[in-house]
Amino acid sequence: MNDWSLEPARDHGLRGIERHRSLVRENGLATSCMRFILWCCLRPALSIWHRPRITGREYLPSSRPFILVSNHTSHLDGILLASLLPTSWRDHVFPVAASDTFFEKRPAAAFAARFLNALAIRRRGAHNHDLEEMRRRLTQEKEVFIIFPEGTRSRTGEILAFRSGIGRLVAQTNVPVIPCHLDGCFRAWPPGKHFSKPLSVGISIGPPMIFDDCSDDRAGWDSIAKRLQAAVENLAGRQQASTLPGAADQLP
Amino acid sequence: MNAATAERFFGYEHAFTHPVTRGIVIFLVSALVLTPIIFMGLRRTVQIAAATYAELWARWRSWIWISMALIVPILLGAAWVIAGVFMLSLLCYREYARATGIFREKMISLSVVLGICLISFAVIDNYPRLFFATPVLGIGLIAIVTIPQDCPKGFIQRVALGVMGYLFFGFSFGYLGLMTSDPLYRPLILLLLLGVEMNDVFAYCSGRFFGGRKLLLNTSPGKTVSGALGAVVLTTCMIVIVGHFFMFPRTPMDHWPMLLILGMGISVFGQFGDLLLSSIKRDIGIKDLGHLLPGHGGLLDRFDSLVIITPLYYHFLSLVLGPLGRGQAERIISGGTLP
Repeated sequence: MNDWSLEPARDHGLRGIERHRSLVRENGLATSCMRFILWCCLRPALSIWHRPRITGREYLPSSRPFILVSNHTSHLDGILLASLLPTSWRDHVFPVAASDTFFEKRPAAAFAARFLNALAIRRRGAHNHDLEEMRRRLTQEKEVFIIFPEGTRSRTGEILAFRSGIGRLVAQTNVPVIPCHLDGCFRAWPPGKHFSKPLSVGISIGPPMIFDDCSDDRAGWDSIAKRLQAAVENLAGRQQASTLPGAADQLP
Repeated sequence: MNAATAERFFGYEHAFTHPVTRGIVIFLVSALVLTPIIFMGLRRTVQIAAATYAELWARWRSWIWISMALIVPILLGAAWVIAGVFMLSLLCYREYARATGIFREKMISLSVVLGICLISFAVIDNYPRLFFATPVLGIGLIAIVTIPQDCPKGFIQRVALGVMGYLFFGFSFGYLGLMTSDPLYRPLILLLLLGVEMNDVFAYCSGRFFGGRKLLLNTSPGKTVSGALGAVVLTTCMIVIVGHFFMFPRTPMDHWPMLLILGMGISVFGQFGDLLLSSIKRDIGIKDLGHLLPGHGGLLDRFDSLVIITPLYYHFLSLVLGPLGRGQAERIISGGTLP
């Protein structure tokens, strides 16, 4: 007879904010139900308030795991990208959020963890252990991550240089990374404002990229970050061309 | 809802009418007040390590919350007891589910929660036939709910874990709510709680005093044979005295064999409940099931003793005294007939 596999929750023993911050956080029925209600309200609200124009939806994989990578200009970005995915995946989609912004105070951390399912990552001094844990969740538990490789919201609306952390996560794995570009979020909800304006936003999704042949070292990580940044910038150029008539002529 | 039901549900005016309720509440309050004085006295006379001292205070603080959470609803009325038992069932199942890993099966957890809702409904409605049907209905739901996923791998484990959680923390604890159908529910529930909690205290004290051979080394290394036997003797004495003089005078329970069976039953099966949860913890390989109560561990580490004894207590009293809650209005919400 086989032994049963009794595996306690990985965050068993953690309490309060420690649990919200934990990368091994696992949620049960109550949180899943709260999240379901939130998404049922948030989806129609987003589509009425921001009327997203989505291009390239066919590139979104139908099976997990994968990573959505995008430029970052506002707090809208994470929920807009998460809203592209089925509600039934709500417990498997993790927007990766800065620990120092969202996980400092308990109410904010509880909201980020319970409702948005955000995963806390330290912007500076993230341990190898943390990245190992994220890689494990990605490859073994087949989760979806939403990552903003710029590391912060752009204060000008321009795309900043992508950091190499994303490379450390996906080098030599066959997890697809889907580059996305968000347009109009900066105008709708720039950093420093408390609420978003009811402006239309554009979401363009590019073809998946796989980095199983990239070396798992500094050079490999940098090249992955560069290739992804180029892909997102390419999407940005295309989006500009499609939204501004006449601007297409100025593109190379 | 007739006047008797309203009185049973919300009538806090007569909370202290019964001498057992009065006595147990006074005993508990004085114990909680005296404990810090004993702590401070101990610290002056005997050398206690700072860590042990802090642990004692943490336990005392937790005890205050536990006592409030137990006593206040019982004094306020049956509606509050039922609500409290509902929350207790949900929280205990949550701890169990997170410890065993069954929480990952959301459909099973949902079925257990629905089952607990049904049990609470049967209790509020005062519909005993529905209450006694809830195990079958709940187990049926838990068993079929994951079949449509077409994933037979792990079926036996997830259904068995779900059923176990449902029966122990939903159905078994539900009896605490069911007892509120009797007008004398306050002393009845308080006597059971006093019995199992003092049983723990007696086991600890006599174990420390006599020491000696371990009871079950692999299951619970802290427990000794002398502790278990001491608890049986002391708890039985306590229940017999309270039962004979205050709780059951001039009733069919007021015979020595009945009172002895009740006292020994509370002690023995209270300890088995404790060992049952210890076995679960050892099997998984964790120390505490939760972390809600500092100094105690989780809720289940505190209420483990009630898992087996509660249904036995109800059925034993019903056998001897006649069904508890007899003569009360049944099916208050679903629409029954008055007796």
